[in-house]
Amino acid sequence: MKRLLFISFAVLTLASAALYWTRSERQITVPVLYWITQVDPLKEETIALFKSWLHDRGLPPVEVRIDNANQDPTKKLAQGLAGVGADLFDIYIFETELFSQSGMLMDVTEQAQAAGFGPEATYPALYGDIVVNGRQFGFPRNAGGNMCWINQDTFARYGVPEPGEHWTWDEFEQLGRKLVTAANPPGTRQRVYFIQGFQNVSPMLLRRGLGLDIFNETMTRCTLDDPRNTEVMRRQYRWVAELHLIPTLAEQMTMAADAGRKGDEWFYLYAKGRYAMLLVDRWALIRLRDLGPLRSRVVEPCNSGFRNMEIGCGLLAAYAGTKHPREAAQFLQFLTSEPFNLLIARSGDSLPPVPKYAKTEAFLRPPDHPEEWAMEKMFAATAPEIGIAYARSPFVQSGTLYRPVTGIDQQVYDAVVAGRLAPEDAGRVEAARIDAEIALNVRADPKLRRQYDELVKVQQKIDALRAQGRPVPVAWITNPFHRAYYKAKGWLQEEPKL
Amino acid sequence: MSRQSRARRLGVGLLFLLPNILGFLAFILVPLVMSFGMAFTDWDFLRHNLFRHEPLHFIGVGNFARLFTHPLFWQYLGNTFFLMLGLPFAIAGSLGAALLLTRAGRARHRIKAALVLAMVILAGSGLMLLRGGMAESGVWLFFGLLTAATLIAGVLTGGMLYRTLFYLPNFTAGVATFVLWKKLYNPDTGPINQALAPLLDQFSAWVRSMPNAFTFGLPLVSAGLATVIAGWQARRLRRQWDQSEAGVAAVIAGTVALGVPLALLLGWWGVSAALAGAMSLIVGAVFAGLTFRRSRVWGRTKAVDKGLGTEVALAMVLIPLLLLLAAGIVIGPSLPAAAAAGIEPPNWLGDYYWAKPAFIMMMLWAAIGSNNMILYLAGLSSIPPELYEAADMDGATAAQRFWHITWPQLAPVTFFISIMSVIYGLQGGFEMARAMTLGGPAGSTTTLSYFIFNEGFETGRIGYASAVAWVLFALVFGLSLCNFRYGSRHVDD
Repeated sequence: MKRLLFISFAVLTLASAALYWTRSERQITVPVLYWITQVDPLKEETIALFKSWLHDRGLPPVEVRIDNANQDPTKKLAQGLAGVGADLFDIYIFETELFSQSGMLMDVTEQAQAAGFGPEATYPALYGDIVVNGRQFGFPRNAGGNMCWINQDTFARYGVPEPGEHWTWDEFEQLGRKLVTAANPPGTRQRVYFIQGFQNVSPMLLRRGLGLDIFNETMTRCTLDDPRNTEVMRRQYRWVAELHLIPTLAEQMTMAADAGRKGDEWFYLYAKGRYAMLLVDRWALIRLRDLGPLRSRVVEPCNSGFRNMEIGCGLLAAYAGTKHPREAAQFLQFLTSEPFNLLIARSGDSLPPVPKYAKTEAFLRPPDHPEEWAMEKMFAATAPEIGIAYARSPFVQSGTLYRPVTGIDQQVYDAVVAGRLAPEDAGRVEAARIDAEIALNVRADPKLRRQYDELVKVQQKIDALRAQGRPVPVAWITNPFHRAYYKAKGWLQEEPKL
Repeated sequence: MSRQSRARRLGVGLLFLLPNILGFLAFILVPLVMSFGMAFTDWDFLRHNLFRHEPLHFIGVGNFARLFTHPLFWQYLGNTFFLMLGLPFAIAGSLGAALLLTRAGRARHRIKAALVLAMVILAGSGLMLLRGGMAESGVWLFFGLLTAATLIAGVLTGGMLYRTLFYLPNFTAGVATFVLWKKLYNPDTGPINQALAPLLDQFSAWVRSMPNAFTFGLPLVSAGLATVIAGWQARRLRRQWDQSEAGVAAVIAGTVALGVPLALLLGWWGVSAALAGAMSLIVGAVFAGLTFRRSRVWGRTKAVDKGLGTEVALAMVLIPLLLLLAAGIVIGPSLPAAAAAGIEPPNWLGDYYWAKPAFIMMMLWAAIGSNNMILYLAGLSSIPPELYEAADMDGATAAQRFWHITWPQLAPVTFFISIMSVIYGLQGGFEMARAMTLGGPAGSTTTLSYFIFNEGFETGRIGYASAVAWVLFALVFGLSLCNFRYGSRHVDD
């Protein structure tokens, strides 16, 4: 028995050593960057372009490998904080503060300024997505905002007129009722919806239309305990629970199961006419091109009052603990290059990260897809014109607010749809929960407390000026929505400088 | 044996034990001690990690104080307890499965009866097919055929197939079964709703044809049954008190079993939670007060907790039963209106009110054929056959044999199973929620264990998550202690 134990131990030790010495990384003499992202042809092509970009500039070669098994934010966080994070990783909209606050993102401010991939190289609206407390933590792979995709065949099939480029909530409701009624005969299970579920996005769009955002100007307090939010919640309840223009989360899951697909079911159902519209960014082209020729149009999201749409980016960041910081920074710099931006333009992904490439022929008139030209024009023009980034308060993580299912915004929305919370109470409940989170975070972190106290004083000054009807210095406002709204209303003392 | 030899043997023994000891120290003891320490600190992933070295602060019981004032903590605790309502049924199901399997093993000669049963099932499936057409009845036919085939094959294999099938959920990977159930629960395409749809259509037609039976009949019958059960429990409690078989704590526990469904019923009727709670508390207090004033035949017992174990066990059965009847009272009047539009099968995982019952049904499926069934099978095989022979000679019926021999003889097994079930029940819910609902909708399937994960790994508040984990531990420990304290008496008896 003892011999067996020792033999097993020795064999396992030798096998481990052999595995270590023969692993593929040891065969490669160039630095290897691991990139947590999806595996798709676009990423493969990005890596090939990066290698040739390095070669063209006479830089030493770098190997980039995709890790698609660790995309879950929890895994990225746990691995990063344990010191074994990937060198590069995609960061999605709800993760920026989580990762930047933890310190696991490489601060690239100086390299970015020196190599030309600072915030000024991309859209001004994305400033808050890549810069936190004055420090830059990455660069966008793409940029854009959700627009309404219209399946023209579906509208024609049910004899419903298509909306114009700019349309209101009332028009949305009116057209939606017509289409859903025509497409779902009485006594049958509903199979066709006007638009896919967008409860994560829509409240913000609607609130902003009424001049309301989740936070105040300095992002020190939640402002949803406001009658305008009640109006939004009522309208959403009507659209989802009463008129069934939009499926609930569970209905969406059912539709996904019907499609027999996961991940790209929206597009499949849109192509099949079960969603008459989609609210999604330009990258839908990547999926829709594979589903055959479709007669589609793109219009801006329905807006009443203040015209707006969310704009955001797919951020690429480097790990603070990377063994190859120089090469990681080179990869970020490569994102501003012409080959990469033209790749984004022709692939059907969102807008190229460098704005000038969204004005090129390659973007506006892709030769293989003349049917998309009108849509490309809409994307290139609308997102920079009315796009406003998410409000990211330093005092509460976006994930806590917007995370699917468990985010406060989603939970309150679900409670309203389930009839457990009256729309009139939703704003009060949500504001109380978010303010409690802010208070908790501020109490726990002295640095944050100082910042908070300063901003509360600024907020008081803003409130005092607004009470007198006087304009406010732009530098006082940190919430991107309020900057845009104040500017549109003429309430700013000066233009924002980013 | 020489000293040298003894030392050598000790060394070798320790060497063998070392991996386990190291594993225990590294992965259990040290994390346990650390998590206890962390529960009293403001440890936050985002501020205290490899890259940010801010000082860790001792905050005393701050995390615990915050937890108990967190409005959602009580909802999540309630969810955890709600999911545990299925435990008595799961235990009863395991026992039932074990009894059936024991009988199946002896019933090889009853193949004719099995065949007749299979034929009846097949004929039923055929009738369903004729009645509803292939599209709606296909699922029923499939289930019918499957059941018949299983039944016959089971009888032919002397129960071996049943044992394997019943135990299947236990050795199937959890996540795989959750994904499977997610598909089964799909409101449109899932076989459960496909099987329910024709039945509900039929039921809707039935309700439409005699609306008064449901508007008034169902609530009246439910209320009547609930009254009978509540009356029986009240009388029983008083009798127990009078005969000094129940102490103060037992009477209170027995009263709570009546008060909780009453409070929930009032809540479903739209009475505010505070008022409903207060009303049922008053009713309960009056009943308990009047009971305590009664004189006792054998004088006042000093043991306030006498009979508490029985009352708690009974409460676990009474509460779900009374809740079902309360649901009948509430749903009855609205049924005709719902039937007019056609009663739809539930949106199992997407509806706030159905998500938890859907979880319970899935847990029952998994629990009935679990290790509990194996333990009961082992327990049944260890009951001395002489006891049954003696009972047969005395002319005992099957029910009498069960209640006076099988059930008492299985008491130690039941005791062990109930303790383990309560522990797993309190700790459970995480995998299901993570794989099926992410804790939604609106937090309806978030249990304490899922709350711990959310706070620890999605928000980064490790100190707070540790505090929640220790509160959960305290609950598990407390309930297990009660189980030992009051349940073991029945075992000893």
